[in-house]
Amino acid sequence: MLGELLNPYHLQIASFIMINIILGISIYITLSSGQLSLGNAGFMGIGAYTSALLTIHFELPIFIGVILGALVAGIFGILIGIPALRLSGVYLAIATLGFGEVIRVIFVNWESVTQGAVGLSGVPHLGRELFKTVTAMGFEPEMLGLRNNQVVYLMVLTLLVVINILLIWFFIRQNKSRVGRAFAAIKMDEKAAESMGINITYYKVLSFTQGALLAGFAGALYAHVMAYISPADFAYHRAIEILIFSVFGGSEVIWGAIFGATFMTILPEALRVISEYRYMIYGVILILMMAFRPQGIIDVSLLKWIKNMIKSRRRTDHGTGTKKHN
Amino acid sequence: MRKIAKKSYLLISVLMLILLAACSGNGTVPASGDSSKNAGGPVSAKIGVISYLSGPGAAYGEAITNGFNLALDEINKKGDVKIELVIEDSAGKQEQALTVAQKLMSDDDIVGLLGPTLSTEMNVVGPEADLNGIPIMGTSTTAAGIPQIGDYVFRNSLPESLAIPAALEKAVAANDAKTVAILYGNDDLFTKSGYDTMKKEAENMGLDILTIETFQKGQSDYNAQLTKIKDLKPDLILASALYNEGAVIMDQARKMGIDVPFVGGNGFNSPQVIEIAGDASEGLIVATPWFGEKDEPKVQEFVKKYEEKYGAKPDQFAAQAYDALYIMEEGLKNAGEADRDALRDALAEIKDLDGVLGKFSFDKVGDVVMEPTVLIIKEGKFQLFE
Repeated sequence: MLGELLNPYHLQIASFIMINIILGISIYITLSSGQLSLGNAGFMGIGAYTSALLTIHFELPIFIGVILGALVAGIFGILIGIPALRLSGVYLAIATLGFGEVIRVIFVNWESVTQGAVGLSGVPHLGRELFKTVTAMGFEPEMLGLRNNQVVYLMVLTLLVVINILLIWFFIRQNKSRVGRAFAAIKMDEKAAESMGINITYYKVLSFTQGALLAGFAGALYAHVMAYISPADFAYHRAIEILIFSVFGGSEVIWGAIFGATFMTILPEALRVISEYRYMIYGVILILMMAFRPQGIIDVSLLKWIKNMIKSRRRTDHGTGTKKHN
Repeated sequence: MRKIAKKSYLLISVLMLILLAACSGNGTVPASGDSSKNAGGPVSAKIGVISYLSGPGAAYGEAITNGFNLALDEINKKGDVKIELVIEDSAGKQEQALTVAQKLMSDDDIVGLLGPTLSTEMNVVGPEADLNGIPIMGTSTTAAGIPQIGDYVFRNSLPESLAIPAALEKAVAANDAKTVAILYGNDDLFTKSGYDTMKKEAENMGLDILTIETFQKGQSDYNAQLTKIKDLKPDLILASALYNEGAVIMDQARKMGIDVPFVGGNGFNSPQVIEIAGDASEGLIVATPWFGEKDEPKVQEFVKKYEEKYGAKPDQFAAQAYDALYIMEEGLKNAGEADRDALRDALAEIKDLDGVLGKFSFDKVGDVVMEPTVLIIKEGKFQLFE
């Protein structure tokens, strides 16, 4: 029964959704302090290559490789974030887009390490390595009535879901904390925020670095889920794709980025039925979206409305209990 | 905290529901007894195709699927084996190629995969197919190391490591060349892999490499590189480029007064070169598995049929795809049943199969064994180079 439900195809898509959600959050975080960064594809590449190279050449466990990949991307985030402070709006977008391209060109030309355009193959696969560990501990997929590849992808997905829940929880907490309010103040009006005593430099670099760290983290996971990476994976197409996650879903709230990443990953797969026309539909949806809902699908007022809906339904559900409030 | 946890459960469950709903509608329903072996009757099997059908490289995917469909009609008419193709788009992206491969592989009726189109996609899909024990054959993946991915990975596309040496050998012999200059695109898997072969082969043949120059995809001015090459006066120029950049390079080189022959890889081999560069394309030497003007009834018949059906001349991608399905047919026929492992073993045994590309065999890792044809552009068209 369980075996039939868990189609590797669906598990695979769900894994990509999870990775894309992390990418969506990474751009949401920089946007939440009013900075438009298009360098996330570059940071993703740094994370992916760092982790892949460390695990291939030094045989580090994947889990350490991923963390180091994220950290290295985060350090680059600080390095880029500080000079980029002087820029804002489209200027920052162009500078970070340039940074992303520089990173890609380095991957292409630094052949002795990155193997250039050929790409790195034989990156340890997250699921297969996990599988090896659990089978070594005496677990057999037949015990649950599953096939090997189902177990492999189920484990990858479970791990990614746990990571995502923790990340989302963390960023929701952060948004409600002093840091989140500082971000929001800077986004509204930098000068006013500064005059209120908010350390703009610190918070802007913080949000930029958090974005870079997350993008690097997602990149490292991507490398170990695909088991092959090449510089073309981290070109500006990817930067735009990440931006669309957040802009489409709504860049004001974290749920927007999550929804956007989910929807944008499922859409091309769901439209497979109409084969060649699917990317046309994809484009049309984007245009309609920008015309009728430029703030993105999910924004603050929609969230409030949903909350009220749930509340009012609860009231009717438990009629006797709520009479006190009336 | 509890609220957030609750919310995230809700979100995840909603996502899962959407996912299930989105993916349930498009599975193909196998007809009863369709893919099992009918007692005494022909073997019938489903084969999955992963192709690049939308995006900038969609022209490749289209030529490839045209080739498959043409062969499919003929094979099913002949009736030795009944094949059903399930064609899916990868949009040239690794993630999509992988998800769609998962989709095809999880259908137990599908016994083999053809594609994906790009070598980068194959690098991701190949290991997965090998792990799941389903034979997969690339029809356009020419980069080094593809069949070495695993026992279940094959290809029938002529790799650069076979094409370039053949072209180089003939070009060197004909021009009595001692020195060469190399020019290649360093940000593309295809051209980079071609360059690696060129360099190795030139060193093996004892040629003196005067200089190695690089360019990037979409570059339009090659004067800097060409000026340097001109000053060094090489006997031959080895250019690992795709036809769109390659044609411009030849045009600019000829204008500058460089008149030595060019030797190109498989990607340089396109009638488009003549269209773009005109007279400047004279003297381009390439090795290719496919030559549409070949004086062979099989080739001519294929060209005629293809033109009738699709209104265009077939290119090498269509021809390779056409042959690939015939290889699958032969494999299924020899296997005698629609079974993944039996098909793999039967494919590995294939020897000297006659196709439009010539006699075809797999070597022991699943790579191509065949004689490439060397062509030169002369008087405005590709001709056999002797």
